[in-house]
Amino acid sequence: MTTLLEFREKVKLFFSRNETFILPIIRFLLAFWVFATVNGRLGYMGKVDNVAIVLIAALACSFLPNGCMLLIAAVFSLLHMYAMSMEVALVGLCVYLVLFLVFYRFSSKDSLVVMLTALLCVIKLPYIMPIAMGLVGTPISAVAIGCGVIIYQLLQTVVSCAPTIATMDEADASGKIRLIIDGLLDNKEMLVMITAFAITVIVVYLLRRMAIDYCWSIAMVSGAMINLVILLIGDLLYDTKMSVLSAILGSLVAILVAKVIEFFRFCVDYSRTEKVQFEDDEYYYYVKAVPKMMVTASTKTVKKINPQRRAGTTAQRGVNTGSVAVRTTPANKKEDYEELF
Amino acid sequence: MLNEDRIILMTKMASYEEKEGKKYVAIGSYFRSDYITIQVLKSVLSAALAFIIVFALFILYDFEGFMQDIYKIDLIGFALNVLTWFGVTVVGYGVLAYIVYSYRYAKAKKSLKCYYHNLKKLNSLYNQQQ
Repeated sequence: MTTLLEFREKVKLFFSRNETFILPIIRFLLAFWVFATVNGRLGYMGKVDNVAIVLIAALACSFLPNGCMLLIAAVFSLLHMYAMSMEVALVGLCVYLVLFLVFYRFSSKDSLVVMLTALLCVIKLPYIMPIAMGLVGTPISAVAIGCGVIIYQLLQTVVSCAPTIATMDEADASGKIRLIIDGLLDNKEMLVMITAFAITVIVVYLLRRMAIDYCWSIAMVSGAMINLVILLIGDLLYDTKMSVLSAILGSLVAILVAKVIEFFRFCVDYSRTEKVQFEDDEYYYYVKAVPKMMVTASTKTVKKINPQRRAGTTAQRGVNTGSVAVRTTPANKKEDYEELF
Repeated sequence: MLNEDRIILMTKMASYEEKEGKKYVAIGSYFRSDYITIQVLKSVLSAALAFIIVFALFILYDFEGFMQDIYKIDLIGFALNVLTWFGVTVVGYGVLAYIVYSYRYAKAKKSLKCYYHNLKKLNSLYNQQQ
């Protein structure tokens, strides 16, 4: 455990020291993943489905706020929809606008959650988000997760309706709109997922805030189980064709990810819990104090060696002579000794 | 002369101002009623716009059918029905916004209380030095 804690401190130290470089790199990679996924799944507009454009957009996103990443991803998907059919793009725009108006009021900072939820849906691991956000976020995060699910399902509907739309008459604008809207509204899987994830976020949040031992572990396991149960009930009621094995495996992965989050955010030692009671003029206090597990990261000891200066010698990197490297220089040239660590 | 306690306190406060403090200080500059009213009004406007978009989609969904039946349907009854839904959506969203923004204001005030306490402490540290 000590080794793990040391590792945690080292990781934290590394991130805090190199935050300026690491954050843009992570943003770039995430943006690249998002745009490449959008292009990979839709890809109807050849001009946008271009690695150079994706790279430029991802590079721009590495310095822009997260909201811009979401906006550019939405523009990418709308362009692809437009290339397929203007009516589909219109429906897509309306859905995005409604989501923006509803979502932006409450969770404008959670644009990253929206994107991650949609991306995790693509790789069949959306179960991570409700548990993770229940642990580190607030119940309002359920709105962002719901938006992520809707965006994923919208893109899925567009992809599944694409062959039918391609065969439809161009004048049948109403038919195309109806097809997409029906595909979205009749999608019971989406409704079941939104309900399950919203309840999971709230349950995990409430449990992890309780003053009980191992509250985070209890919250994540209970959250995963509740999520699974609601998904199964939804499957029974609406025949969502959910893969039970995939859901169970996904929930296990979600618990693992949640454990990692717990390790970095809430690593406490319950064996050293202290319960104290005291009072002041106005209140009685019943306090339970749980100490955090802490170790200080081992640091390098820098030893400065000042060897005896011989006449006509100076230090040089690369030639090891015990503790300092020495080379001969003309006696009239003065140079300082270098420190070797 | 440098005062270590003061520097630590100032660093913590500067860090707070840069992070969550920025948001909370902005919220704390309003009276509770003003802040909640403004936010609820913005939310109501958002809900109204969202409703209009959804209604437009509803019309587009079966535009031909709607245009054919437009002279047959009871337009006043239809308008009343739409307005009822509009009212329910807007009021529901407004109530939700009221709850959320009341909570956020209370949270911001609680956080700022600690910040102002630190400000007082900093002031007393300056006074001690003088």
